[in-house]
Amino acid sequence: MKQSKRIFGKVLLALMLVFFYLPILYMIVFSFNEGKSLTAFTGFSMRWYQHMLESRDMMQALYTTFSVALLATFISTVVGTISAIGLSKSRRIVRDVMVQVNNLPLMNPEIVTAIGFMLLFITFRIEKGYATMLLAHIAFCIPYVMLSVMPKIRSLDPNLADAAMDLGATPWQALTKVIVPQITPGIISGALIAFTMSIDDFIISYFVTGGGVKNLSIMVYTMSKRINPSINAISTLVVVIITLLLVIINVVPLIVSKSQKKTEIKNRKWIVPVSAVLIIALGVGFFSNFKAQESYLPFEGETLYLYNWGEYTGENILSDFEELTGATVIMENFESNEQMYIKVANGAAYDILVPSDYMIQRLIEEDLIQKLDHEKITCLDEISDGLKGLPYDPNNEYSVPYFCGMVGIVYDTTKVDPADLEREGYNIFLDQKYRGDIYLYDSERDSFMMALKALGYSMNTENQAEIDEAYEWLVKCVETMDPEIVTDEIIDNMAQARKALGLIYSGDATYIMSENEDMGFYLPESGTNQWSDGMVIPKNAKNPELAHAFINYAASYDGAYDNSSYVGYTSANEDVFNDLFGVGGDYEGINAYEYRTDNPNDEVFTYNEKTRKILSNLWSKVKIAASNAG
Amino acid sequence: MKRFSQLALPYIVWAALMLILPMALIALYSFATGGNSIVSFTLTLEHYQKFFTDPDFLIVLGRSLWIALETTLICLLIGYPVAYFISKSSEKWQNILVLTITLPTWINMLVRTYAWIGLLSEGGLITTILGFFGISDAELLYTEGAVLLGMVYNFLPFMILQINTSLCKMDHSLLEASADLGARPVATFRRVTFPLSLPGVINGITLVFLPAVSSFFIPKLLGGGQYFLIGNLIENQFITVGEWNFGSAISMIMAAIMMLMMMLVRKVETRNRGGKEE
Repeated sequence: MKQSKRIFGKVLLALMLVFFYLPILYMIVFSFNEGKSLTAFTGFSMRWYQHMLESRDMMQALYTTFSVALLATFISTVVGTISAIGLSKSRRIVRDVMVQVNNLPLMNPEIVTAIGFMLLFITFRIEKGYATMLLAHIAFCIPYVMLSVMPKIRSLDPNLADAAMDLGATPWQALTKVIVPQITPGIISGALIAFTMSIDDFIISYFVTGGGVKNLSIMVYTMSKRINPSINAISTLVVVIITLLLVIINVVPLIVSKSQKKTEIKNRKWIVPVSAVLIIALGVGFFSNFKAQESYLPFEGETLYLYNWGEYTGENILSDFEELTGATVIMENFESNEQMYIKVANGAAYDILVPSDYMIQRLIEEDLIQKLDHEKITCLDEISDGLKGLPYDPNNEYSVPYFCGMVGIVYDTTKVDPADLEREGYNIFLDQKYRGDIYLYDSERDSFMMALKALGYSMNTENQAEIDEAYEWLVKCVETMDPEIVTDEIIDNMAQARKALGLIYSGDATYIMSENEDMGFYLPESGTNQWSDGMVIPKNAKNPELAHAFINYAASYDGAYDNSSYVGYTSANEDVFNDLFGVGGDYEGINAYEYRTDNPNDEVFTYNEKTRKILSNLWSKVKIAASNAG
Repeated sequence: MKRFSQLALPYIVWAALMLILPMALIALYSFATGGNSIVSFTLTLEHYQKFFTDPDFLIVLGRSLWIALETTLICLLIGYPVAYFISKSSEKWQNILVLTITLPTWINMLVRTYAWIGLLSEGGLITTILGFFGISDAELLYTEGAVLLGMVYNFLPFMILQINTSLCKMDHSLLEASADLGARPVATFRRVTFPLSLPGVINGITLVFLPAVSSFFIPKLLGGGQYFLIGNLIENQFITVGEWNFGSAISMIMAAIMMLMMMLVRKVETRNRGGKEE
């Protein structure tokens, strides 16, 4: 019986290890995959590693993660230990209160702590970035250190320090030579917990960061929408670094103690020099990045902060612009106009934003963006005529168009009968034939556009009854059709024909159709949203001069061609559009790339704060209904 | 030595600024009327009212608590035996096993969750294996099961490590004494081992339940956009909807529920310990 128990234990442990390491192994294997797929291994290649090493974004994220973790660990360990010693000698009531206060970050859901920090920084107008991230990390790490140091202090003889001082030690000596060595195990385990918490943190960092500063977690979160095997490559790198760190911390002292037979405390001192060396190495590595080359370019050493949609720039445009001007471009990505707006309205400083039509209108109305200096804008001649002087900015005083497009239906031509699309339009999303086989797009504007157009209303309606009807339409859809509500995941999923139908931006459809010939794009006759995104310069931009230079570069042929050919969205540059859509172009014959201008039902979205709030709340409720139906 | 007590002063100031003030701000926002400025505000209960009078929000809250509870139970049921067997192995193996379980927690949580997307998606390793057993067309990704799996995967190590720590601390002569006094192994486990490991169990429960209930990237990555937990609701209010006051109110409600639960759990623990001493 004992035997069988032992076997059971071994099997259980083995299963556990498989469970813990299978995903990690899978990730490592697929980081060497030649293709882009996460499910089919097509051959060995190092291309994702190359991609990773070339991506400054990823290397910066790696640096941020480790430097914040090491600094936060070091500072919180020192401060936490000193404070714990101090508290142990304080009056009981002070100690009890502080223990409760320390419990706040330990006992609160992380998201609550995160929001607290965010509100703190915003209320006191502290610009969010690396410093705020580090401060927040230190703040939530210290309680963990104190939690693990306190019990060790309590078990010390309270007279120890007094005895040392009676024997002639100064208070400082008593502290460092008598107390600290006694509580070293507690300090070390506290430091380890702090390091674990900091390096793994996502939620708090996500809410307190800004200015393009990302750690690995934030990077993965914002990049995971589209399959990007470089994430596997960088993760593998992290596994290697962490394993090495662990080996250094655990094995080196063992070897040393074996050869030297020294006492336990002596060994642990390894950690200090090791981490010091690491900090220095990382620091040197970071600063050497900036002193790369000396030459005389117009914007040498200056920085452009660009706040753009995710996956909205070509592969080379940023590096080409940097080479041309000597400037550094730091790009941060947003998922929705609203997300961008909230950050900008709360004082985050960027040099260029790329919002959509209605959002540009809102930013103008709220006086958040500045007029362009038309002396410096040389690119307007190259923009297609149809995109100049749009209603939200009639004289292009504020914005230069970037991409344009429409919202339509992407469908699998092998599964969907075109006659159904012709007959039903958007109502195909209520057709039971396609139940469980559809994607909705997670955007209040586009979803309500679809519902309102399906019902034959204007997408800019302010009529509450019509809005309610559209809401009912959407609720019916999510309750009876079992849709998946996605954002950019739709791109890879439709390219792999995972579902039959989806609501989609025309540019994403272009990309899908160029990847998979079976896919089609349909624009319902009942109309759609004709949208365009433009580049604007916020009022609080730090470098408007450089921003103008970037606008010119991104809107002119080279920049626009790189953008459009890589991303798939319709270019606002007339020549680029003609070359890509024309004979021999990348998107020849792909109807999603064309911009429909001849349907009277098509509309441009206009901004209305009251309707926006209503739609925003209703869309939250549609999603909750979907969640509750599932 | 009293003079050391001054060492704590800077931290008291720091804690007031970095720990208490943020919570006070959330509370302030949650009771203030709309707008993102705290310079001028009037007190209101409308955000709390909005939350508690809408069954949809309550369902989301209920589901979040439920899935966190499921996660905690599964972690406990798997984690306890694992921790138990680790504590029974030789010291050398104990160290190695603890290290192998700790290692994944050092690798970024999002990265590890991301890895499951490839494993679970259609045509991935797991669906292929299921296909061999005749279960084809199983939809795994973007289901509640996937979210549960992601949570157990991410939080199980905390449970194992906590329980293992308290099992290893236990005085083994107690077990021998129990056996000597004629208790059978099951009785020894039930009346000696388990009660003594309870502090670890409680810590484990805290470390699993707390992050599980507020997680929002696991549901987003593995549950898809139509899977909504309370964490997603809060994130949504702050990042895309812009209703910070309502978001703060939900945060306060969450914090209050957690505090109550933790107090309850601690009470169970102290009562249990009190019972032991009698």
